[in-house]
Amino acid sequence: MNTVDELQGLSAELATSLRPHALAVDAGEVPEIPALDIIRDIATPPDFRTSDLPKCAQLYTETCLARTAANIELSRGDAGVLNICRAPSLAGLAVDALGSAEQQEAFYRVLADERPWTFFGMTEPSVGSDATAMQTRLDKDFRLHGGKRYVANAERGGIGVVFARTGPTPLSIRAVIVRNPSPGYSGRALTMFGLRGAALGEMTFDGIEIPRTCLLGAHLPASRRGLWGAARTFNIMRLQIGAQALGVALAIADYVHQLRPQWKPLMATRLEAARELLLDCAHDVDNNPDDRRAPSIGKLHATHLAVETARWAEAALTPGGLLEHPLLEKWCRDVHAFEFMDGTSNIQRLTIGTGHDDN
Amino acid sequence: MRHTIAECERAGHEHGLSVGLAMALAGAETAQAPGRVAAWPTSGIPSGATVVREERGVSFVRTEAGPADPEIAARLAAVRLGLTRRLAERVVEHLSARKVGGEPTIGKQLVQGALADAHVATEAARRTLTVAGDCPEAVADVHHCLTTVDWELAKLLGASGFVSVDSSGTGAMFEVHLSRLTAHCWIGAA
Ligand SMILES: Cc1cc2nc3c(=O)[nH]c(=O)nc-3n(C[C@H](O)[C@H](O)[C@H](O)COP(=O)(O)OP(=O)(O)OC[C@H]3O[C@@H](n4cnc5c(N)ncnc54)[C@H](O)[C@@H]3O)c2cc1C
Repeated sequence: MNTVDELQGLSAELATSLRPHALAVDAGEVPEIPALDIIRDIATPPDFRTSDLPKCAQLYTETCLARTAANIELSRGDAGVLNICRAPSLAGLAVDALGSAEQQEAFYRVLADERPWTFFGMTEPSVGSDATAMQTRLDKDFRLHGGKRYVANAERGGIGVVFARTGPTPLSIRAVIVRNPSPGYSGRALTMFGLRGAALGEMTFDGIEIPRTCLLGAHLPASRRGLWGAARTFNIMRLQIGAQALGVALAIADYVHQLRPQWKPLMATRLEAARELLLDCAHDVDNNPDDRRAPSIGKLHATHLAVETARWAEAALTPGGLLEHPLLEKWCRDVHAFEFMDGTSNIQRLTIGTGHDDN
Repeated sequence: MRHTIAECERAGHEHGLSVGLAMALAGAETAQAPGRVAAWPTSGIPSGATVVREERGVSFVRTEAGPADPEIAARLAAVRLGLTRRLAERVVEHLSARKVGGEPTIGKQLVQGALADAHVATEAARRTLTVAGDCPEAVADVHHCLTTVDWELAKLLGASGFVSVDSSGTGAMFEVHLSRLTAHCWIGAA
């Protein structure tokens, strides 16, 4: 057994502790689950971990392959519960990519000491797919003005990364570390249709004062200080989202096959093939971190297949059966969330289609 | 039947699921549901019924499983057709007011293609109900098609369809899912 297989096995084991809380999290509860502390540590870069972990766990932050393999199994437990984990998540990846050694140290110190949820503020009420048009701005006095919407942990998060413009061009979009509470910060939770553990919300910045040390990327070349510098981060996250979609689909298939062992077994094969595809794409990203097509291919397929799996499950039940199987009904809502996270299907299509000439 | 189908579609389009459902179920009883749960307008649930869940004027009540009634399923499909058209109108309004790359999102070719596909699918679904509204497989197929089209349309609303910002801004996915759950109670087993 190689270390990725071991990590996959460890993730499957941890996933069994998530499942029992799935419906409670969907109903808005935030239970304390010891397995989530382990997952949080696994998702933290080795230098900043607070406990000793099996050797295979080291790999999680080192390769996209390991992260993808682990997320499939963790989400097979329950992706909603996984999303209440106080992990560094996308904010951590952005700090890894854009932060200096001191900034990384300061960020992970807060995570270790305070165990906060993290947020990654990019989307705004009127600007989503086209992030270059964002309106939130950081003025010359280092005050942040504007707001973000549809951001995970916007209300309950204690620290995160927010993107804002410092001038008119896309290159002037920069990232800053923001603390909550801070004078001028307000966060509000939104009612979500599914994947409720993600706790989407909106945040408003009314002239928050940002310490100069919290501006990320100052030590990097101008072209890599902001949005473009975070591009590799999005590649990794895109596959993590695809992995979570596939994990939910596998959970659905497991559940249905318990109820109806003979029900259209082809779906199980399609899901295993999708795992193979995601892992291959992750391997490609490890070999070429700037490859944008591979993560888009993996995410597009997995999110689409997850929604299809939910329909396959619905057809397997007796009429009205979704009302009698609340966990299945919940997963049939959850699978739709992944469409919007880290680029919609159309955005993935455009990336895949326009990259066609390169290969 | 053609007239009833048109009336049900209009009710769904103009007044929403709960009113449309009342029209589709006129004269029916919960025991006509093919499974152990019937979707019923909350305003008219039979006294003493056990309500499993209630949402936006639709109640899911316990019942004894009966034989599937293709006419009820066909009328409900017409109601859903009206809801799907309503959703498409909402998408056009939403994306006409949004921009990407400095241009209206509604003008993007992938968006126009998705809207065109949804339009064609709903036109075909309506004709299926007209020519085969008494055929259980055909009606079930229309329901499945509408579930697919609803999702393709809801995607176009971006995250705004996935959350409710306040009571005035209910995410479309809540309605789309309710329509799907309601249908699931009235379509016979596969
Ligand atoms: C569960 C969940 C978690 C999220 N977490 C976060 C988070 O933590 N932080 C954060 O910043 N954001 C987050 N988001 C928001 C997410 O990033 C946005 O929803 C996404 O970027 C799409 O933006 P939008 O919703 O504004 O849709 P829009 O960009 O307005 O798109 C609307 C529709 O138009 C299509 N479209 C857009 N541009 C084009 C084009 N050029 N060609 C063809 N079609 C196009 C899209 O595919 C979509 O169907 C989250 C969303 C969800 C649902």
